[in-house]
Order: sequence, then C-alpha cells, then structure tokens
Amino acid sequence: MNNSGRLFSAFLFGPIGIVYLLFLLAPIGFFLSMSLFRYDAFELYVPTVTSENFERVLTDSYYREIIFRTLKIAFLTCFFSLMLGYPLAYFLARSKSRWRGVLMFLVIAPLMSGIIVRTYGWIILLGQDGAVNKTLMTIGLISQPLQILNTEIAVLLALVHILMPYMVFPLFSALASQDPDVERAAGTLGAGRIRTFIEVTLPLSRTGILMGTALVFTLTAGAVVTPALLGGKDVQMLGQQIYDLILTTLNWPLASAVAFVLVVCQFLIIALYFRGGRHGPM
Amino acid sequence: MTQEPVLEIKDIVKRYGDIQALGPVGISVREGEFLTLLGPSGCGKTTTLHIIAGLTEPTEGTVSMKGRDITALEPPQRDMGLVFQNYALFPHKSIFDNVAFGLRMRRVPKPVIKERVDRVLDLVGLPDVGSRYPSELSGGQRQRVAVARAVVIEPSILLLDEPLSNLDAVLRKRMRLDLREIQQRLGITTIFVTHDQDEAFEMSDRVILMNNGGIEQSGPPEEMYDKPESQFAAEFIGEANLVEARVVAIEPGALKVKVAEAIFTAPAGKMAVSEGDLVTVMVRPERIEVSKTPVNGGNTLQGKVTGRVFSGDQIALTMQVAEGLEILCSKPSTAHYRDLRLGDPVWISADDCWVLPRAGVKTEGAK
Repeated sequence: MNNSGRLFSAFLFGPIGIVYLLFLLAPIGFFLSMSLFRYDAFELYVPTVTSENFERVLTDSYYREIIFRTLKIAFLTCFFSLMLGYPLAYFLARSKSRWRGVLMFLVIAPLMSGIIVRTYGWIILLGQDGAVNKTLMTIGLISQPLQILNTEIAVLLALVHILMPYMVFPLFSALASQDPDVERAAGTLGAGRIRTFIEVTLPLSRTGILMGTALVFTLTAGAVVTPALLGGKDVQMLGQQIYDLILTTLNWPLASAVAFVLVVCQFLIIALYFRGGRHGPM
Repeated sequence: MTQEPVLEIKDIVKRYGDIQALGPVGISVREGEFLTLLGPSGCGKTTTLHIIAGLTEPTEGTVSMKGRDITALEPPQRDMGLVFQNYALFPHKSIFDNVAFGLRMRRVPKPVIKERVDRVLDLVGLPDVGSRYPSELSGGQRQRVAVARAVVIEPSILLLDEPLSNLDAVLRKRMRLDLREIQQRLGITTIFVTHDQDEAFEMSDRVILMNNGGIEQSGPPEEMYDKPESQFAAEFIGEANLVEARVVAIEPGALKVKVAEAIFTAPAGKMAVSEGDLVTVMVRPERIEVSKTPVNGGNTLQGKVTGRVFSGDQIALTMQVAEGLEILCSKPSTAHYRDLRLGDPVWISADDCWVLPRAGVKTEGAK
C-alpha cells in the first residue's frame, strides 16, 4: 500500500480507534488492575498486587457453579435462537410474499421496547397467576400452577425471545446474499431439497451462523437484567453477580476478577469458534 | 430426419397472474442437435429453457423426453445439465468438488468420480484447476467449469442459458468455437439461449427466433438470414434494407413488385399475396451492387451517394434513391467502392431480394 492509501486507512479507522482506546481498552485496563487489588471493608480497595480474587473466583464452588450455569445458558440460548431463527431468516430471505415487510418489522419490533419492559412482560406471562398457568389450568393440563418464574427455563425463554433479532439479521443477510441460481444448480445436478440445503444453503450461510451465534452468545453471557428479574436468587449468572458485587457488596476487586474471567471465557470461546469455522476461501 | 425427437414441448403457456409471458410454444429437438433460442430480452427464451429444465412450471402444455411426459418432474429427476448465465458454481467447494457434485448425487463410486472429473476437466482444457476455488478462476475458466459440471453427468440434453454474456468480447468469440467443439465431440443434444445473433448463427444447427413470448420463425441459420418471414425477423437477424412495395404481377415461383418507380423480381416465398397488395422488400446491404454507369434491366434503382463510412476492410454507403427512401450498402473496401464519393450519381442493382409481409403482419401458415 502506498503512503496516501495508508493515510486514508488511518483516516477511516482513526475515529473508531480513538473511541475504542478511550472507552474499551482503558476501562479493561482499569478493571484488570482493580482485579489485582485487595478488598478492604473501609477503604474499598488497597492497591497491591494479589491473586486472591482470582483464586476465589476459580476455586470457590459458588462461583464455579455460576460460571458453569452462565456458559450453559449462553450455549442453550444460542442453540434455540439458531433453531428458531434459521427457518424464519430463510423464509424472509427467500419469500416473495407481500407479508415479508410485515414479518421483517415484527422481527425488529422487540428492539423498540426496552429490555426491562420485555422482561416484565414475561413475568406477567409466566407468573403463578400468569397467562401461561391460567391457560394450562383452564384446559385441564395441570391442576396446580407450575413454578416457571425463577427457573432456568424462564431465563432461557426470555433470552431467546429478546435476542432473536441478533440471530435473525446476520442469518438473513447471509441467506439473502446467496445467488438463488446456486441452489437451482444443485437441483439440476440431482440434489433434492434436503441435500441442496445440507450441501449448499447451509455452508453458504456459515458467516451468518457464526455472526448470529457469536452475538447471541456474548450478549447472553453478559446478560444482567433478564436473569435478575426472571431467574431470581436461584438462577444466578455472572453479569448479575458482577452488578451485585459492585453496587451492593461494594467488593470492586472481586467484581473485577469475575468480570475478567467472564471476558476471558467469552473471548476464548469466540476465538476458538471462529478459528474452527474458517476453511476454504469465501 | 424421421428419428423420434429427444425432447418435445407442446402448447406450452406460462402466465403470471393475468399476464401471459409465454406461448403457446411448441418445439421439438432432435438427437445431437445444437438448437438455439434467439430473441431480445423478455421474449420468453429463458422462461422456455427453465420450463424444459423444470425450474419453472408451465401453466399449460407438456414437456416430454424420449416420448415420456416429464412435465411434473422436479429438476433432480430430469436428465439434463444446465449451465447458468452467471455459472452458479458452488463458491465453497473446490473445482473438483463442483464438477463431482452431480456424480456424488448419483452415488457413483469414488474412483469412477475421480476418473470422470479428470477426463471432463481435460476436455474443457482445464486439467490443473481441481484443487482451486471458483473465486480463484477467471470468468472464462469458470464458464468452462460450469460446462464441465453440467456435462460430467452425461445428461441427455445440455441447456445453456446465455453462458457467454458475462465474458469480454475476445473471450466470447473464442468460447463460441470451444463450446461448439465440446458439443460436437460429446455429440450431446444442446439447447442454447442467447440474444446475440452472431452467437446463434456461428454455433447452431437450427435457430428458433422468439419474440413477445412466441416463436417468430425457426430454421437453419442460412435460411433464417436469407428468407425471414417477418419484418421483426429481418431486422433482428443481421442488417436489412426494408422497402415498401406493391405487388404488380404474380408469376410461377416469382413475384413482380414495384419499388419506387422500378420493377423488382423476387422469389415467391410461402406468403400468400394477390396483385395490388402492399408488401415489404428486403435487400441485405452486402448483396447490393453499385455502379457509376447506368445499368439497364430489372431490380435497379437510380440514386446518389449521401453517406460514406470507411472502416478498413469494409465500406458502408448510404444512397438516396427517392424522396425519403435511402438504401444502405456495405461492401469490402475494394478500389471500385472506395472511389465512390458523396454526391456521385449511382445505379443500384439488387438481384438478390426477398419479399415479406409488411410490419405487424405475420406470414400465413408460418408458425
């Protein structure tokens, strides 16, 4: 690249680079150093170098369980979002129906109300006297109201719903950018619909699957409000743990260590994931 | 040829809502034939091809192959290879896997696949690209791979949907010959769709000219060029001087028509005419003789040179022969034609002319 090209690149990347430096890397550096400090009940933290916060996060079974649950819920949310989102994205990308625009709007619609509003919506639906229990009891499927709130199911259900747009849009754009003749070509060469899907459509939507699942995974792993409101004390996840440690317990060093573990987990999983997903020139 | 057609489509109609896009159209294709569907965009040629391939369902009519009705069959059940306009190679598969795809779907054993893919890549002149990916090939190479992928399954019919239109002019000319050669070598029945008359003529045994969702005329290239049956056919294929004339006499095998003040004798075509009818006389620009000295006899007009374009090997002359009537002539640029200058009085003879119905009127009996 010549000099003016380099300058132009710098110009393009400059602004976002500065924003990242100030508001992403600096805070990460800040909480990384905070995670090495010692907690003190009176001074909040003492700036020394200690590994006790990390030791606690990684050895205390309480935290281990939360880390495990967070990753489990993130995986399951990803899985169900993909299973439900893919057919929808496929329909949106291929359909010539005039309902396409309406459906597109419905997919975005959840983003228009706040996450707290949507979460409260689920409380109304899933509560002891909520619509789901009322309906099931009326049709006689159950005699006692089910305990849905404060379970992992409630958290999973709400997360899948709330994060659906983040799954559908990358999938949609990957599917919509495929040349429809490529699928037709597979057909003329003797591949039925299922073979065509497995051999052509699915691999060609790989970038969309990677993007969508990565987005949903990271957003779930870092979720705070939804698990706090729908999971209660029984379904603790890392995001909400950090929130509690900072605002209630005021143990900033420990909160930083938990946050650091969360970021590293996410980073490692996503990095491994993208490495594994890369093959052949596209 | 009395042979049964390999493929026959009958009374095919395609409607989208109230709009009739195609038909009724009937075509039968002989074994080993290279047939071209030629026509402007929107004439229905691609729709026809897609109906043959099973990608589009006809509203009415039947498609049959070797006497068997295949109208209801899905593309995978049809024994055809299709080359798409944009090639539609699988971008995520290597060239080898692209070509092998159809064989894998037919559960051909691996060693046989290897052998057949190698052989067909050899045939299209790309023996060493198996491990590459489509994005690493040039347009012409991708085109060859698309052909290889379609013929490796040894289909009864090869369908080509404007496969040359995305190539540059030089490559396009070479690929015409190459495609034709591959077709000849395999002896595979081929239906080719194009809007390019040169392509159609250079490659085909037979051309079907389509317009407005119907068949305008069909026949071998020479016949299409010499004996167009409509003004559309005359204008779409090559260049033509089209002059209005009146039938003055009907003789066995010939017509006498009055062009401006002159009498022309033309072969009587399939057209039914009677004395006094208005018709169109067609003269191809290269079949005109121009003389600086008076010429006597029929099929001659007098005029003067009003335009002259010299383009190296060719020279194009425009000559006014009557008020509002200009004749175009294009000739090899020999000394005789080069010496003609603007304003020169000239005598034009057109012994080789052809009579067709006036614009908008179709020849009776012609389909």
